[in-house]
Amino acid sequence: MSNIIEIKNELLNDSYYEIDHSSGYKIFVYPKENYSSSYAIFGTKYGSIDTCFKVEGQEKFTEIPEGIAHFLEHKLFESEELDAFARYAKTGASANAYTSFDKTCYLFSCTDNFEDSLEILFDFVQNPYFTEQTVQKEQGIIGQEIRMYEDEPGWESLFVLLRAMYHNHPVRIDIAGTVESISEITADLLYECYNTFYNSANMALAVAGNVTVEQVLKVADKMLKSNESKKIERKFMEEPATVVEKTAVKNLPVSMPIFAIGFKEDIKTPCRTLKESIISNILLDVIAGKTSSLYEKLLDEGLINTTFDTEYFEGYGYSAHIFTGESHEYEKVREYINEELKRVVREGVNEEDFDRIKKKHYGNFIMNFNDIDSISNSLIGAYFNGDGLFEQLEVLESITVDDVNNRLRTAINLENSSMSVIKEA
Amino acid sequence: MNKKSYIEIEKGVKFLCVNSDKFKTNCIKVDFYLPMSEHLAAQNVLASLMGHTSKKYNTFKSFNGRIESLYGADFDTSIATIGEKIRIRFSVEIPDDRFSLDGKSIAQETVDFLIEIIKNPHCENGEFDKEATDREIRFTLQNIEAEKNDKRAFAVSRLRQLMCQGEPYGIDREKLEQDVKNLDGKKLYDAYADMLKSSTIVITACGNLDGEMVKDKFSGFENSIADRKPADLPTIFITKADKIRYFKDEMDVNQAKLVIGLRSGMENADDSYFPFRVMTDIFGGGPYSRLFLNVREKMSLCYYCGARLFREKGIIFIQSGIEEENYEKALSEILNQLDVMKKGEFTDEDFTSSITALSDAFKGVEDSPVAVCTFYSSQVFDDSLVSGQEYAEKIASVTREQIVECAKRVSVDSVYILAGESGDNE
Repeated sequence: MSNIIEIKNELLNDSYYEIDHSSGYKIFVYPKENYSSSYAIFGTKYGSIDTCFKVEGQEKFTEIPEGIAHFLEHKLFESEELDAFARYAKTGASANAYTSFDKTCYLFSCTDNFEDSLEILFDFVQNPYFTEQTVQKEQGIIGQEIRMYEDEPGWESLFVLLRAMYHNHPVRIDIAGTVESISEITADLLYECYNTFYNSANMALAVAGNVTVEQVLKVADKMLKSNESKKIERKFMEEPATVVEKTAVKNLPVSMPIFAIGFKEDIKTPCRTLKESIISNILLDVIAGKTSSLYEKLLDEGLINTTFDTEYFEGYGYSAHIFTGESHEYEKVREYINEELKRVVREGVNEEDFDRIKKKHYGNFIMNFNDIDSISNSLIGAYFNGDGLFEQLEVLESITVDDVNNRLRTAINLENSSMSVIKEA
Repeated sequence: MNKKSYIEIEKGVKFLCVNSDKFKTNCIKVDFYLPMSEHLAAQNVLASLMGHTSKKYNTFKSFNGRIESLYGADFDTSIATIGEKIRIRFSVEIPDDRFSLDGKSIAQETVDFLIEIIKNPHCENGEFDKEATDREIRFTLQNIEAEKNDKRAFAVSRLRQLMCQGEPYGIDREKLEQDVKNLDGKKLYDAYADMLKSSTIVITACGNLDGEMVKDKFSGFENSIADRKPADLPTIFITKADKIRYFKDEMDVNQAKLVIGLRSGMENADDSYFPFRVMTDIFGGGPYSRLFLNVREKMSLCYYCGARLFREKGIIFIQSGIEEENYEKALSEILNQLDVMKKGEFTDEDFTSSITALSDAFKGVEDSPVAVCTFYSSQVFDDSLVSGQEYAEKIASVTREQIVECAKRVSVDSVYILAGESGDNE
């Protein structure tokens, strides 16, 4: 029997159901009244940073080539008979998949034939089929995917920054790997990684939209196979507090230089809490958002344009506050950011700014609960991080201006920062 | 569901509100449609400026502070060409009033904000503020130049310019850049005055908001603007290409970008639209399409290869990223697949897959306020509005024969490649 709990949020007047399925898989169902479509996502906590791991009981860590998680994502769509896309073509669902730093997810959306499509999703993800020949064919396609990203300066700028900040952590490697690293991938290696990461203890399903718990369970009972649940330990790559290099430049044809400035947090434990993440996002908005004095000053002096943005970049074993934009005078932008950080550390965050940004985050929280794709993706993301979907709101409400000031003083160190610049040769 | 239609609240001002209480947010889009004119450069700057400052909110800080106080409203202004119509859009999504923390109506305050920034822009005595104008000219020039950063978009934009030279659709980027450089606050104001005077205004709202309130607040354009007369919005349809033209640009790219422009043969935006839509989808739509299955899956030449129909101009663009040495191979397979379409040699499975997928997608198109506004506003110039469900039915009623007929009308106009500088890859 499966254990089902309802989780309700009064403000949103929504509920979702968290199910411990008898097969060992975790399932989330978020019904949306009067919606026509549904969205399902089946994910494994296995991403590009998982290049060094061990299964509980093993003594030594296993190391594997870069880009396997993403390669697996491509290959799972194939089977001995009809590939998954051809099967979805019969139900009409629109299917896709993605690999990020820390997870791989398979998804579809549809209005009709939900149960048939869910059956396809469960089936192909649980039944891998690779041969040397199909692996070779995919090397050509993924090779072109990697080449496509090499032409995207924004993407390149992030990875040049990560390589400038991180000495050891695999976050410094492109999600798809490199043309060289994927040439080392074999069918055997794919099976090995599949058998490690694709098991009930490391996976979850989230569904939102025009669905019921009964519908989902009916298909899950039929399709989900119990398997040996494996507890996987990711290696916590201890990073020095310092960065690799202060400035890294790469030449690409761009109209004006693209920069990314990252402040690497010195962390002693692999994960940040939900509260720390939200505080970080608030603090970036307060310091460099569109209503900040920094933004106004940079804009007035013609140093940035409206592409200027910030991101709190965090995952297992890495955490950084990042500022990105386009500028001919990127060194000056960096100087201004450093000065502003020093000033805010000294003077503290202004209450009024904090209240306004907090209201904005409250609005953004609510706005995330319309789209069934963002709901399902957030469910999976929150679960893999060990959080509940609605917790964000309670945590947000509890945050004070002192929390922001404290985090600012501990998480950002001007010494440990790097800048990447993409510019014309 | 009731049949929906835009109501004309006054001449050239169309309004639609789709009410639903299933959403957490409300969305409002205000569109100004204008024909292509000498104001194009100024309109590009206007679309940017009016989304950044106004007379009342005359700094980035005060303008964005107002947006943040509207619960971090998702607000945006943009300019686009829809066929040969220019559309300047003000778009906003906000939490519904039931989430208001102080009892004030978020929707009402947001509509007031929209009207304020549209009717009272950042100008004085018939001229836009000098500082704001200069800054926005800089942004616009940087945006135009930045197109080069996105190689895929750059390639499409270049093909469009080369293929449609002499038609308003083939916007000359260099001329546009020059025109932007020559702008000043006065010219910007002329374009703004023209926007109010000559545009067709379309207001689309969706969510749990009071439609009457929105409608009333947006009424009165006719009275407040002297000689307001919405202009005609024509688009030239060229139904056949005489011969294939070949173009190449050189840039230091890692992967060559291939773009092919087709004339669909459509004589206007309504001419056999649904059969053309399905035809383009079988040819190069989803992962069941001829291009995906052959150019990518069978021949392993690329990661993406797809076709898209631009209904409002009757053209189809095909895009792929390849190694330059595979140019002939990829091109010949793409053209071969087009022939398959023309000869009706696509399989019944290809046909059914496409119909099933497209119908399924359109049935679910009304599941967010933004999607609802986008879907209906894209039909504003059609004779009548169709719902997602009706749209799906129209797709499902398309026959194999109609598709072959459409495919036969398609002709290849231009082939463009953006590839490495000579000597690098050759």
